[in-house]
Amino acid sequence: MQQPIDINVYADFLFQFIQKFGKISREEFNQLIPYFQMRYYDKKTVMLQKGEVENYLSVVVKGLVRKFIRVRGNEITLQLATEGHMIQSEVSFHTRTPSDVILETLEPVALISMDYEGVQEALKKIPVAEQLGRLIVTYMFIKKDSRYYSQLKNSTRERFLEYMSMHPHMLQRVPQKILASYLNIKPETFSRLKHLVRPVKEK
Amino acid sequence: MLEDFEKYLSKYVELTPEEFSTLSSLVEIRNYDKRLRLIDIGEEEQYLNFIVKGLVRKYFYKGRNEIITQIAKEGDVINSSVSFLSGAPSTYVVETIEPTTFISVSKHSIDKLYTLDTKWQRAGRLITTDLLMQKEYWELDRLKYTTKERFVRFLTTNGDLFQRVPQKYLASYLNIQPETFSRLKHFLRKKFAETNI
Repeated sequence: MQQPIDINVYADFLFQFIQKFGKISREEFNQLIPYFQMRYYDKKTVMLQKGEVENYLSVVVKGLVRKFIRVRGNEITLQLATEGHMIQSEVSFHTRTPSDVILETLEPVALISMDYEGVQEALKKIPVAEQLGRLIVTYMFIKKDSRYYSQLKNSTRERFLEYMSMHPHMLQRVPQKILASYLNIKPETFSRLKHLVRPVKEK
Repeated sequence: MLEDFEKYLSKYVELTPEEFSTLSSLVEIRNYDKRLRLIDIGEEEQYLNFIVKGLVRKYFYKGRNEIITQIAKEGDVINSSVSFLSGAPSTYVVETIEPTTFISVSKHSIDKLYTLDTKWQRAGRLITTDLLMQKEYWELDRLKYTTKERFVRFLTTNGDLFQRVPQKYLASYLNIQPETFSRLKHFLRKKFAETNI
């Protein structure tokens, strides 16, 4: 597909992304740049297979990645990552063990990634990296907790409405059965709930 | 009492005696009787608590039901973590099951440590990563294993908690109906008796 583009083309995007976690200076940021790389995948491509060890932390620049697990013949979707979201098999990356989950693109995808060795080296060599790493993990922890909380606490209808109001375009971008699985809603129920949201008009 | 806490931290960072004594001067020993709340819904979490002795649970309300998301014993840490990390009001209750002694570090003290040395940032990063991993495993286990498998796995890794934790709490934590929980318990007892003659 696309030719690999120099990471610097996305430097501003990445700088903005990192500011979400902690304020770092442009100088500190520039020290981190050499550790990043661009990665590209076509749509419907498996980025990480079950049993492989995850080697990257990634943020989506463009496109859509699905994380799922196969359980007793079913695919259960755990995450749908779009522009500005991080996506990786967390357990596999941090514990260096084979992944239970599978990462697959639903659209052509461009990612900014840092590999495991790069992360370890940056942590050793760049003073701000430890703090940044802590803040990123903290952010991921909070996101994860709110997803579990919502899954356990809210009714099917509440989960559906909350997600659709926050992510109105996903109905167009993601096949219904995948969205239903992500929200832990039966496909039939999902179809019934759809009348609650009006389709979003693209400009 | 502090040795247990030192041992816990040594899983993440190597501390010099000086560094550990800096930390020791900042911690608080807190004692709670059984069935007392450390934090209630709506409050802002100020502490990270390491359990020296005792048993604690964390839950939220779904209607009138208590949904237990963590059961912590000696050597574990517990708090209303999202509130602690984000500053948002707690949506969870943290409550003792048995009388419990904590070594607690306040948010204020941790922020102070972070300014002293990158090593504390590192400890914070690794501990938070571990908490994230626990959360991931908790989710994956619920998806990967059947009710019976979850029950057996918990029994084999946390056998001691079966004696200490009221059955309805364990059932809630494992997301198993109380009736199913009783049935599984009897089933396994029988099975165990058959295989160990």
